Amino acid sequence: MSSPLTLPLQREASRPRRALIAAGAFLIAGTYLYLVLVQPTDIVGGGGSMASLVSLLGFLGGGALLVGGILPTLTTSSLVVMPLGIALNIAIGQTAGSLGLQIYLDAIGTVLVAVLAGPAAGAATGALSNAIWGLFNPFALPFAAGAALIGLLAGTAAKYGAFRRVYLAPLAGLVVGAVGGLVAAPVAAFLFGAAGTVGTNAIVAAFRAMGDSLLVAATKQGLTSDTIDKLIVFTLVALIVYALPARARNQFPFLRRNRVLAGRTPATAPGGAGE
Amino acid sequence: MPRRRIFNPLTELLAAALVVVLVLVINRWQFSLVVLLAGVLPAVLLSGKPRSIGLALAVVAGPLLVSSLVLHGLFFPEGTSVLAQWGPARVTVEGLEFAALMGLRMAVFSGALLTVMMTASIPELVSTLTHRGWNRKLVFVIGSAVGLLPSVAIRAQHIRRAQEARGLVVGGGLRRFKALLMVSTPLVTGLLVDASERTHMLEARGFSSTARRTSYLPDTDSAAQRAARWAMTVGVVVFSCLWLAIGPAA
Repeated sequence: MSSPLTLPLQREASRPRRALIAAGAFLIAGTYLYLVLVQPTDIVGGGGSMASLVSLLGFLGGGALLVGGILPTLTTSSLVVMPLGIALNIAIGQTAGSLGLQIYLDAIGTVLVAVLAGPAAGAATGALSNAIWGLFNPFALPFAAGAALIGLLAGTAAKYGAFRRVYLAPLAGLVVGAVGGLVAAPVAAFLFGAAGTVGTNAIVAAFRAMGDSLLVAATKQGLTSDTIDKLIVFTLVALIVYALPARARNQFPFLRRNRVLAGRTPATAPGGAGE
Repeated sequence: MPRRRIFNPLTELLAAALVVVLVLVINRWQFSLVVLLAGVLPAVLLSGKPRSIGLALAVVAGPLLVSSLVLHGLFFPEGTSVLAQWGPARVTVEGLEFAALMGLRMAVFSGALLTVMMTASIPELVSTLTHRGWNRKLVFVIGSAVGLLPSVAIRAQHIRRAQEARGLVVGGGLRRFKALLMVSTPLVTGLLVDASERTHMLEARGFSSTARRTSYLPDTDSAAQRAARWAMTVGVVVFSCLWLAIGPAA
């Protein structure tokens, strides 16, 4: 019966490449520790070439390794929703940036994919969207690792029920935003002298006027902007996901398996058992 | 007048990325200025669409450059040689130098990458990646994200107009948030429904098979360019190592 023209049915190699993921995570963590612990005074001293290079290559390379490890594990339904998340990130983030807002709103797609398809897809979406956005807006490029972290944390929060109650989502956003702000600050400080958007620069200027060092000012700005930003983003995503029709939601096994959303009976989803 | 393409987009992208790395390694505002004037500016002018690239640069990098100049020019507590002072704001030599360094670096960053991306043909880039045997999932995600971008923007605009026809007013504060929600919910819903249809189509066409792909576009990459890419990368890496080991002392 089998036709020689069709390919044999192969199971995807669904084992994550743990070595790649571990190497990526190690590289990102190492870069962060190096930047924060070893060279805190280096930025404005003029010899910051090493620090900026390390922050670019470390975070970007770490993000690339993470994506390389994660991609083979993703199902087609997760893969198809990833470009959508990336396009949303870039379209909305670019708008928010050009409006001069103090927040970024560039993680809506990442958090959405993380909630729908899980932490791995969220992390890959975050890293890839900043890498692709970086081709149009180079200031987004080095934040790839931070974006991956936000996707990972958002997916994990969704897995453990942060989106089951409406009031939990903003709280999770607050925590994720604080972590994300801490990670993003050294990148902003070392690579671009803390330039974010016009709105965030104003916040940095305020802290600098109080006499803070650039890294401290960027960290404080990150903690301010990122927490508010992620709070809004998580709330927005929660509202969007609950407003989705069942047909759009049912294609995601992650949603059903982990009962990400409250009040939906997962067992009746058509075609879901075989996933 | 479109420029006649000489190099493969991958080669140009790599060249731009390596220029960025060099600027970071050398980290002198003089070098960034030379690269900007001798490398990026001619590339923009010869690209065939200097006007649209210039406009994009002004929109993406312009406000950031100005605000960064203001930030470091006025608030630089580490500066010692004060030129002028108004209350908490002090203009210092060190601050202006730092502002020039960061400003020129950002200008090279955005100039080089934007020029390449705005002149590159995305299908050609995707087909090159396929021919070079990159992970097809990665190629799919990159190609489809870049392809989706304009359609997402257009769709968002249509939805906004439709909602405005129903009485949506894009105001300040909480109303802006509500407007964002009223536009993004139908946008995301529509995109997800499209995505689910795409999933079935892709699966029916063997997307998850691991067999070798066929590209419908000819391979515009050449062996010489492949060799040049490796040579450029190795050259920059060797130079960076030497510079970081010896150079900063100078």
